[in-house]
Amino acid sequence: MSRNDDKQYRRSPEESGHDAVEPVSGIVAPVDRRRFMQLAGFAVGSAALAGCSRGVEHGVMPYLIRPEEVTPGKPYWYASVCGGCAAGCGILAKARDGRPIKLEGNADHPVSRGGLCAIGQASVLGLYDSRSLRAPLRGAVASDWETIDGKIGATLDEVRAGGGRVRFLTDSVTGPVEQERIGAFLSRFDDGKHVTYDPISVSAIVDAHRDTHNLDAIPGYRFERAEVIVSVGADFLGGWISPVEHTAAYRSGRRLDGPDWAFSHHVQLESRLSLTGSNADRRIAIPAGSDAPIIGHLAERIAGLAGSSTPWGTLPPCPLPDDTIAGLALRLWSAPRGRTLVLCGLNDPQVQVLVNYVNELLGNYGSTSTETTLDVESVSMQRRGNDAELHTLLEELDSGTIDALFVRGVNPLYDLPGGERLIDALTRVKLVVSFTDHPDETSMHAGFVCPEPHFLASWGDSEPIAGVVSVRQPTIRPIGSTRPLLESLAIWSGQPMSAYEIVRDYWRRNIFERRLNSATFEDFWNRTLHDGFARVRRVVPGGFGATTKLSGVAIMAPERWSAPANDRFALDLYPAPGLLDGRHAHNAWLYELPDPITKTVWDNFASISSLAAEAAGLVTGDVARIAAPDSRDGFVELPVLVQPGQDDATISISLGYGRLGTDRFADVGPKWLEGHPTIDAGETIGVSAAPLLRWVNRTLSFAGRHVQMEKTGLRHQLTTTQKHHTLEIPRRLSMSGETHRAIVQETDLAAWRADPHSGGHAHHDLATLWSEFPRQKHHWGLAIDLSACTGCSACVIACQAENNIPVVGKDEVQRVREMHWMRIDRYYSGDDADIDVVHMPMMCQHCDRAPCETVCPVQATVQSSEGLNQQVYNRCIGTRYCANNCPYKVRRFNWFDYPRDDRLQNLALNPDVTVRSRGVMEKCSLCVQRIQDAKADSKTTGRELQDGDIQPACVQSCPAGAIVFGDMNDEESRLSHLKHDPRHYTVLAELGVKPTVGYLTLVRNREET
Amino acid sequence: MKRQVVNAVLVLGIVLVSISLVGSLGELRLPGNHIGYRPEQPIAFSHRVHGGELAIPCLYCHSGAENSRTAGLPSASMCMNCHKFVTATLGAVREEERLAEEQDRAPETVVSTELQKLYDALGLDETLAVDPTKTPQPIEWMRVHKVPDFVAFDHRPHIAAKVACQNCHGPVERMDRLRQFSSLGMGWCVDCHRETGTKRRAGMPVSAPLDCATCHY
Repeated sequence: MSRNDDKQYRRSPEESGHDAVEPVSGIVAPVDRRRFMQLAGFAVGSAALAGCSRGVEHGVMPYLIRPEEVTPGKPYWYASVCGGCAAGCGILAKARDGRPIKLEGNADHPVSRGGLCAIGQASVLGLYDSRSLRAPLRGAVASDWETIDGKIGATLDEVRAGGGRVRFLTDSVTGPVEQERIGAFLSRFDDGKHVTYDPISVSAIVDAHRDTHNLDAIPGYRFERAEVIVSVGADFLGGWISPVEHTAAYRSGRRLDGPDWAFSHHVQLESRLSLTGSNADRRIAIPAGSDAPIIGHLAERIAGLAGSSTPWGTLPPCPLPDDTIAGLALRLWSAPRGRTLVLCGLNDPQVQVLVNYVNELLGNYGSTSTETTLDVESVSMQRRGNDAELHTLLEELDSGTIDALFVRGVNPLYDLPGGERLIDALTRVKLVVSFTDHPDETSMHAGFVCPEPHFLASWGDSEPIAGVVSVRQPTIRPIGSTRPLLESLAIWSGQPMSAYEIVRDYWRRNIFERRLNSATFEDFWNRTLHDGFARVRRVVPGGFGATTKLSGVAIMAPERWSAPANDRFALDLYPAPGLLDGRHAHNAWLYELPDPITKTVWDNFASISSLAAEAAGLVTGDVARIAAPDSRDGFVELPVLVQPGQDDATISISLGYGRLGTDRFADVGPKWLEGHPTIDAGETIGVSAAPLLRWVNRTLSFAGRHVQMEKTGLRHQLTTTQKHHTLEIPRRLSMSGETHRAIVQETDLAAWRADPHSGGHAHHDLATLWSEFPRQKHHWGLAIDLSACTGCSACVIACQAENNIPVVGKDEVQRVREMHWMRIDRYYSGDDADIDVVHMPMMCQHCDRAPCETVCPVQATVQSSEGLNQQVYNRCIGTRYCANNCPYKVRRFNWFDYPRDDRLQNLALNPDVTVRSRGVMEKCSLCVQRIQDAKADSKTTGRELQDGDIQPACVQSCPAGAIVFGDMNDEESRLSHLKHDPRHYTVLAELGVKPTVGYLTLVRNREET
Repeated sequence: MKRQVVNAVLVLGIVLVSISLVGSLGELRLPGNHIGYRPEQPIAFSHRVHGGELAIPCLYCHSGAENSRTAGLPSASMCMNCHKFVTATLGAVREEERLAEEQDRAPETVVSTELQKLYDALGLDETLAVDPTKTPQPIEWMRVHKVPDFVAFDHRPHIAAKVACQNCHGPVERMDRLRQFSSLGMGWCVDCHRETGTKRRAGMPVSAPLDCATCHY
């Protein structure tokens, strides 16, 4: 007790007498502060003694019986098939401790060729989803399989007895087993039919080829053989049919390595700036839906050049100037026959017939053995949807004549317009069964939900290209009480069998006989499981042979097309490359992936051109109401985004958003005082654009509808990363007033041919004060070819999956705190009418003279003897000076302990990489865990490391092979050759930091032939 | 009065803390130094018997050290490679044979107490076949050598460089109950790396890197 307690202190002369502060009555502190601290210090000190023992005892539990092929700590790989979309890319699933943690493209597989898109990389997260259904549902109530099988069986017996109609509605089933088993199941009913549709439909292409070439499939597109590609709205590098395959092929037709280089000329005519358009050599903006007259005029020009005449009279006017079309036609005609490719993304059978006609005139159709760009033998089986059959089914449902409906892989109440009517129609169906793994819009109205396991936990097969078959094998036991479709069908057909037996049995009966080698079935089966695929004799769909020559089908003139009126727009609905059709609505990684063009996260929007925005008085973020005047229900309200390169008369909206269940992401990311939820209560991520879809002649139409746009006066903040981590100089800091820095080097093919150094910025070899670091055997580096990078962002997700990068939520991204180690900077140049886009992957440049290393007060970031800039997490104290000093702004700080409460989701973490806690800086490590693992293995086996042995996640995943990793000390390595390529440069070289990550000048083919 | 109360509380505090610490008195050491740590194991496995007397190579059981980033412990199935047949010490078996001879009966299978724990963990019956009524229970060994989570130690380069196991783990083949021999602290690791540098070991060049990312990533 101190004597001071007796004095009354006053803060001011006014406080005296009865104004003085009185002690609170009744409570007298027994111990004053000083005494308390003394006692507390003693108590803590003595308690600390107790901590001077070993502490927590650690138990370890090895296997009781170790499986032969498993070495704990070493990954083992399964060859399987990705289920992210219907493209059927062959994958290698890396499994550790009994669970898959990373997917990689199978380098030998003809579809993936080693690459895997962002969606494929993210699908490993979908396996560990704690909100997946774990048990079958009866209505909305969890049930068990016995009860459900009993009920379904009973109803099916009734239906069969009554000669009822059964319909199986699925997305494109590329697996022969499932196709056959569904057919077998349906054959037990008098009127059973398997209806397939793709939510992003390209059924018009199949319809057209059925007419023109007797081909019930999409032809194989051989981009690698094309010298001139003209694509009218087909986003073949983005979300169209098989982007990984197309990107790899496109890239092999555009490479400048060595004397036998090849570089195609790619013209994209489109209404919005798509991923493909951003990579094209030439881009022409057209209104949405105007493909028909453009293709028609192109056909006429080419026919003229070919010396034949078009089978129609006069054409409707073309939205493009005559000389543009003439120029395109001449360019196509001047290229060798069979080496050009004309594509169209419009889902209109008539237009697709026209496209086939144009390709026919150009001699592009051929078989696998000919060197043409369109292959009618090794055809694509990746989209089997038939819009007309779907339309018929909807009519049948309307009329109440369907008795049983099975829905699998599709979500018709979300995908299709007219949802309300469909709900009503479903009530008149006796039995509605959904096989979804998450409650969705359709399953809410289904009588039974029979959830299937994730594709990584399923047996199945796939034939993505005619003649290439793969087995999908599980990498983990199904989580929860789910059951594969094959087993459900078997039980309901009265012949229960496991999915494994069903697949093997089918392969023994039907696939084995198509083999090209292998003596026994076991040999064939094991070899296919090991390799990931097998080449077999082709069986072309339809059964009869396809022709390479156009049949005598009547080619009709394109229908009259009219531009939208002054106050109207043409609508363009498209799948976002990072999300597709909405089936990945529960994947946080994909929502946080910045859209390759707009760099938006966690939202969709309506893109409009700056001219249109001005005219309408809208800015980015204003919520607009877009409605179709020809329909009462077709309207959506979403924020507007002003997009350079957008056609002035078009509004583009991405599909796949606004899914039920996305409110689970409201609180994703750290929760703190000033944080905002990602979405408000009762909202979903984005808005569904499906109400604006429409049927035109029994085909789903995604582009061309005339809509009007109205202001609502509301605002919705769109979070984009485009201004984040900019390398430009802030205006207020710029001495010369110049903010622009020469970050990107571009040149033209003609200039490159004249001088391979063209496009390069001269810079002096700078003197330096620093001495060389001691170097060891290897000097690791990267080279990124800007001509090859399409901006697809597969590398971003691959890095996230490999390095345990957290999801932070929309609010944190708004605060420039996204955690992606790899980002794709997208630079625009030119004006709206003629916009050029460059995609530049940017990650830690591993500078040899890193500015971040010199400023760390604790040396948590240091240069390694092998050229890496190392970040030591346990030493970092969170000063953040290093991030300040980094000129490339590639360092990421852990502002929070990001939520890792979901223990199931934590199974997706990579055990080889530290999970960083709050207060620690992180950045690209060049996948040092992979480097260390490879080095340790090479030391153990005595085998020297070869070029290509080590592949960081981004390098491995790139479908275009744009990133190359290697040892700069190895003169023979591919990387060394690229480092000596005249196109090679480093970003911000004038700073003298000597990055080991280099870039190759972007080359565009703008040559006039 | 107040002072007396405070003093009483202090004395009581000291007494209670001392009582609670008595148990761990034998283990008191400075934080981070765990030399001599010798936990009791669920099964009294003796490295002296197996690694010393029987001279089984370390890597026979601990093959993970050579192949993977985590050395790990052998699975129970590894033990069963021998203990499918060896159920007790030779002395105990001979004793039983002698007794059986004396009592004129067939000798019974002798199972030592520790091995019985192994068979129970695997859920085996007396004939060492799998007993479907028993539930197998993995054996929870007490981990002796542990580095903190932020250290990614890899045995492989060390084994490739022919560093003897005893170099770091001490004379394991003389330990009945395993104890930690070296401090396993970073200073101790770095000292050896500095010394080794690029010296030749067993006739081959090695590189013992001093980069942080060798262990911290």
